[in-house]
Amino acid sequence: SEMTSQRRRREEEEVRAEMSESGAQLFARLEARRCLKDIEPRLFPGDGGPQHGEVVELYGSEGTGKTELLYHLLCRCVLPNAAGGLEADVVFVDTDYSLDMLRLVSIMESRLNSWMRENNEEACRSCLSRLLVVHCSSSSQLLLTLHFLENSFSSRPGLALLLIDSISAFYWPDRCEGGANLAKQEEKLSKCSELLGRLLRDYRITVFATCHAIRRSYSGPSSSSFSDPDRPYLCRAWQRLVIHRLLCSRQEAGNNMAATAGRRQVLTVHCTSSSSSGTKAHRSSSFYVTDGGVEFT
Amino acid sequence: MVLLRDGMCPGLDEGLVRGLRAADIKTVEDLVSSDMEELAQRCSVSYKALFAIRRVLLAQHAAFPVSGADLYEELLSSTAILSTGNPSLDKLLDSGLYTGEITELSGGPGSGKSQVCFGVAVHISHQLKQNVIYVDTTGGLTAGRLLQMLQAETSNAEEQMEALQRIRVFRLFDVFSLLDCLYGLCGGGLQRASVGGGSVKAVIVDSVSAVIAPLLGGKQNEGMSLMSQVAGVLKTMAKDFNVAALPLLIKEEFDLKWWSRSKEEGGGAAAAASGKRKRDETDS
Repeated sequence: SEMTSQRRRREEEEVRAEMSESGAQLFARLEARRCLKDIEPRLFPGDGGPQHGEVVELYGSEGTGKTELLYHLLCRCVLPNAAGGLEADVVFVDTDYSLDMLRLVSIMESRLNSWMRENNEEACRSCLSRLLVVHCSSSSQLLLTLHFLENSFSSRPGLALLLIDSISAFYWPDRCEGGANLAKQEEKLSKCSELLGRLLRDYRITVFATCHAIRRSYSGPSSSSFSDPDRPYLCRAWQRLVIHRLLCSRQEAGNNMAATAGRRQVLTVHCTSSSSSGTKAHRSSSFYVTDGGVEFT
Repeated sequence: MVLLRDGMCPGLDEGLVRGLRAADIKTVEDLVSSDMEELAQRCSVSYKALFAIRRVLLAQHAAFPVSGADLYEELLSSTAILSTGNPSLDKLLDSGLYTGEITELSGGPGSGKSQVCFGVAVHISHQLKQNVIYVDTTGGLTAGRLLQMLQAETSNAEEQMEALQRIRVFRLFDVFSLLDCLYGLCGGGLQRASVGGGSVKAVIVDSVSAVIAPLLGGKQNEGMSLMSQVAGVLKTMAKDFNVAALPLLIKEEFDLKWWSRSKEEGGGAAAAASGKRKRDETDS
């Protein structure tokens, strides 16, 4: 009847008002998130660094320091200003269970130690409370989790950084599931990339993601054994998001400066940053991994 | 991918599932990614009801974020370090095998990987009085050899038998049985295997390459995908049930060129999933 339909319409309007953004939420969304341009200037060319809404990909084979670099950036974000940090909140999306909390905390403690001698435990706990960790076990779950995380982004304006370790974890299972159809193989990661693109535009967070290198040799026995190992292999939707690409590799033993590095393995990072005008800027840096984390040479 | 079924959550009845399927919404992912207003109109259902369903499904199937502080607390209280029984090996591993982590042993044939694992199994079952799961894919494990190693530890026959009872052996020879076994362990098998007052503290897979190698190489993607799956379930098991997982792998340079090339492809996926590695040398 007239009454019930009117009442239903009013009810729906109420619910709609409740579900659309409140003033506070709108402010939280539009208010500038902490810009992370200065997160680690030694990695990026010029006075560059990732701007709001930019994606940095760390690409390399195993043992080239990608996850260690993520720990370094994480600590830089969550530590208090006085200890050299940015006091920003971070979300860590772990897709292959590579997050080693014990290692992360030991790096955090050694950085806090150089700032204040006592009461480390309390300081450490408060830094850790700026970190949100989420484990995903498939690309479908990654898609759902990114949707779910939208709530976290809108309710926490302090959340400035999203780390994904790694974005390539589901590459082989997705390829197998997609059968012979390339579009089907890439479908799930494409959807995740598109959603990520929208979240970047709407919430202006910064993303660092690791991508494991794979060596492919499909062309047959007669061609050269390895195609360019650094060529991007993930779907195009992901490649379009990446603004800065950091290629991580192990430095050849011969180039080591024996005096300083001793037997330590030096790792190099080559950064390629694409600008909107199409030009590319480059920068190389090197570091080694100590008990206290990454140290640049 | 999770298919939408009626009864999955309150409000999702058979009629609605049929309506959604007609609108090409078959999975939870499809529903969550769609425009709620448009979908509500197409399926003649209220926006409020659909929005509520979306919220519940998302909460049920997305991974839940945990605070770093809570995660660290939990880890501190639940991680245990298991001695391997060999002091120099313990030193190499930074005190021993960590539960919640994968420790990979790789080396050429005859380098002693299995013997090291027998020793670890014997030490955990006899000294630490905890349970061990040994997945044997090569047929190399014999109770006689375990007994021999136990006899070197103790001459008490009852203690030897008790220790042997704490080692549960699974014999399988292909990757699908391996996955079946590992998923079964995650789904309650670990609790069932906990006898004699202890709980399962280590899961040894001897060896992973024996079941994966036949599927690698050429243009097949299946081998790589299955290896990722094995790594994934081992990691999940290690983290969720607090066990130390020990997969064994054969070292690369041992075999033919084509095999080693495909092994390198595979090496990335497996090694990316493992925590610490120990290279076997024949004289260690």
